[in-house]
Amino acid sequence: MAEINLIQNIGVSGFIFCALLLILPFMVSYYFKLGIIKKSVIIVSRMSFQLFLTGLLLTVVFDINNPLINVLWVFVMLFFATYTILEGTDFKTGPFLPTMLILFSIANILVLFYFTGFIIKLDDIFEARYLIPIAGMLMGNSLRANIVALNDFYQDVKNNEQRYLYRLCVGASKKEALFPYMQRSMLSSLKPTLANMATMGIVFLPGMMTGQILGGVDPILAIKYQITIMVAIFVTTVLGVLICVIVVVEKGFDDYDLMVEDIKKV
Amino acid sequence: MGKNIIEYRDLSIIHSHQKVLENFNLIIKEGEKVLIRGKSGTGKSTLFLCLLGLMRPSKGDVYFKDLPVNGNSVSVVRTKIAYVPQDVDVGRDSVNEFFDTIFSYNAVGFTPDFEKIQRLLEWFELDDSILKKEFKSLSGGEKQRIILILSLLLERNVFLLDEPTSSLDSSLKSKVVDYFVNDPSLTVVVISHDPQWEREGLRVVDIPNK
Repeated sequence: MAEINLIQNIGVSGFIFCALLLILPFMVSYYFKLGIIKKSVIIVSRMSFQLFLTGLLLTVVFDINNPLINVLWVFVMLFFATYTILEGTDFKTGPFLPTMLILFSIANILVLFYFTGFIIKLDDIFEARYLIPIAGMLMGNSLRANIVALNDFYQDVKNNEQRYLYRLCVGASKKEALFPYMQRSMLSSLKPTLANMATMGIVFLPGMMTGQILGGVDPILAIKYQITIMVAIFVTTVLGVLICVIVVVEKGFDDYDLMVEDIKKV
Repeated sequence: MGKNIIEYRDLSIIHSHQKVLENFNLIIKEGEKVLIRGKSGTGKSTLFLCLLGLMRPSKGDVYFKDLPVNGNSVSVVRTKIAYVPQDVDVGRDSVNEFFDTIFSYNAVGFTPDFEKIQRLLEWFELDDSILKKEFKSLSGGEKQRIILILSLLLERNVFLLDEPTSSLDSSLKSKVVDYFVNDPSLTVVVISHDPQWEREGLRVVDIPNK
């Protein structure tokens, strides 16, 4: 507990001061008629409530620290991550959810346990205090890339459908004809993750590192965690993007290899 | 006469709530040369699309060498036909890269020798330097010739030509028509408004107006 005591508590007065800060954006909104005062009050309240609830739940989960409950928690996270990805795309959520959930679970869990087992070498690889936040970082940070991959890939084929169809006519298999589109969507969805890694430590101190430093951890240990988690995030992102592209190749085309239209949201 | 190569049986196509073709029947035998005529919008090109499985008929069937075109057969059918569409989009590839891509496909299965490409370029009155040019930057007539060259490089016996000579000058038009009509081993179906195609040895099929 000694480590935790290092960090300064935020008291009631702290929260009052924090709320006072919001006056600035409210003034901006009022002056520019942005109309976001009410919306931001609702969203900040919602965020606080969600985080408060998560805090309570995590306290309980960390306390019990039962491997089964921890893994179950990870699965609930996976479900919401998959759901959020699909909601962010042009595709209907229903037909994609089961396949995506299974594939994402496999990819994320593999990376997750590789990380806790081989990289940080935990005695208990299911330990909640490590497992749950790391799972959250892996999923949360690969989310955007997955959405981009899903949207870009299908849209790119749609925009250049004639080129795709001509290749089929010449005798390309579906995978051969789609290969350049797969390459393009993978590259464009991975670009932000790569750029993010390239500027790390120069432009900003990443959240995990900041948290650990605030928690009293030696900066060198904090960067060790940061380096390894970034690699794990990159790997999860690549796997996630691969899964997205494969699922669209399998579900987005019919037995004639033509694009299926009714998988899109109406 | 030889075997049936292409058969349309009671084919109907409804496209955006409009009847494009109704109860269309046609048998094309091996070695036949068929000219399909009709006003635009009468569904000439859709006949090609149905055979290649790029469009599903609303009713009726299409057969290729007595094999119904469906989800199981379509990928094989596509590898047996040399299709020349009116327009091809190859992105930002050069002619060379375009050829390389096509001949990298497993089902195509071979790479043409450079001498053959050169011979065809010469025959079509094109200079070797065109291979390095971006396909998109070519003129309509040059594009058309490149697509024809590609269709010939594929070494297939069944040709579906959709307005293949529209942008060529008249002497080259006659040369291309001669080539396709005079080779008895080729089965050729052509959609064209060019009078050069209306000659002896060619069967004319008129698609009725709706």
